[in-house]
Amino acid sequence: MSYQIKPLLKLYSLACASVLLSSVSSCGVPADGDSVGELRGTVLEVPILKPDLVLTDTEGGLYDLRAETDGYLSLVFFGYTNCPDVCPVHMATLAGVFDELAPEVRDATKVIFVSTDPERDTPDRLRQWLRAYHPSFLGLSGEMEAINAALAEMKLPGVAVVPGQHGSEVTIGHPSAVLAFGRDGLARVRYPFGVRRADWVNDLPLLLSENP
Amino acid sequence: MNWWCFAQPGTAWTWQWQPLIGVWLVMVLLIWVYQRLLSRTDDSHESSRLRKSRRVAFASAIFLLWASLDWPLGPLGASYLASVHMVQFLVVGIAAPALLLLALPTAAYQPLRRHPRLTKALSDLTHPVAAFFIFNIMMTATHWPGVVDLLMPTQLGSFVLNIAWMLGGLIFWWPLIVPVPDRPGFHSLGKIAYLALNAFLIRPPFAMMIFSESPIYAIYELAPPPARDALNDQQLAGAVMKIGSAWIMFAGVLVIFRSWMLAESDRPESA
Repeated sequence: MSYQIKPLLKLYSLACASVLLSSVSSCGVPADGDSVGELRGTVLEVPILKPDLVLTDTEGGLYDLRAETDGYLSLVFFGYTNCPDVCPVHMATLAGVFDELAPEVRDATKVIFVSTDPERDTPDRLRQWLRAYHPSFLGLSGEMEAINAALAEMKLPGVAVVPGQHGSEVTIGHPSAVLAFGRDGLARVRYPFGVRRADWVNDLPLLLSENP
Repeated sequence: MNWWCFAQPGTAWTWQWQPLIGVWLVMVLLIWVYQRLLSRTDDSHESSRLRKSRRVAFASAIFLLWASLDWPLGPLGASYLASVHMVQFLVVGIAAPALLLLALPTAAYQPLRRHPRLTKALSDLTHPVAAFFIFNIMMTATHWPGVVDLLMPTQLGSFVLNIAWMLGGLIFWWPLIVPVPDRPGFHSLGKIAYLALNAFLIRPPFAMMIFSESPIYAIYELAPPPARDALNDQQLAGAVMKIGSAWIMFAGVLVIFRSWMLAESDRPESA
């Protein structure tokens, strides 16, 4: 029985080459075909000023958001440690990003997690939860009035407490986007849920280079 | 109620049981087809031990398929953990097809010879060279990130992916297990080489999962817990794929080698 092996060999080689090419291109760069050099986050039409917010850090000290993050690229996210979906994904993604970034980019970037559930997110719990992702991530908590006012300033939806049904835990509605404040204190890009690690790795150096 | 497991990005994992009707229907269909084929086949020439082994092979295939596709492994593999997804591939795409083909008596395949066109098509499709390429192209394509991220978020897409695995596996094992069409040239040594080559082959998906610096599948990267580190899970998935498939292939090598040795020892010595 004769069999034409060459066409099959060509087809398989082509498939392998394409996949390998895609694998090489996915090493630190886009998974979805976006080009390098362009921001992958959602660029805001009007930049947002970093809110004037003084909260409490996980050591119990006061933390002035503007003063403490001045000169840094600050990724600010509002969530809670009992969050079952968006928060752990964002934090795990950013932790992976921090592992992949060049040290100078990592050192110039701060991840700020502001709790929207101060009752359950005690300083200890917040610290342990964040450290499980990355030791450099900062946790803040404070009065809900101040947090909601800051969210309004940032044009983000406010916090909504949803009572648990049939004995389940309370869930907290909160913005799912991360705002990236440049070194000048202005946010020009927001990152909705669904932004991937490769997108962050592409964007963070760009955001730093925009405001050197 | 869902009929097949599929990816639901951003949805929190829950340990609450959920029925997957399609999985049960497929299992019932497989059992019905098997019973029907058995009732139409005279397998009295086979030893009772062999017949029992075939029943055990079928029961194992059904159990493995059901366990890997139904809750909780089904939804976990479809939406949350690439490593579980890869266990599903090992079952649906490699182990279960071999067990299903082994489960049928030799006589059950003989009616295929009455259809010359079908025999010719099978001869071409399941030629070892064709089977090798079809299986490996299928394996490569169905683990391509774009394909996985496109198909997994829908029940139909996820089902199509599972069916592609199953068909690829059936074609892969066919020349080794099924006696129709005759392949007198495909000696035991050739079968061992066929399996060994597939065991050692470094396929592109494995290389991507192991060596990529970022997660390659969006659905697993954006999956809420129990996934904690998508990259670690992806590397584990690559290891499961490589080591798991190699073990199954080597088990096949051992079975073929043993049968070969037994056949040689049973052969009457020439004077």
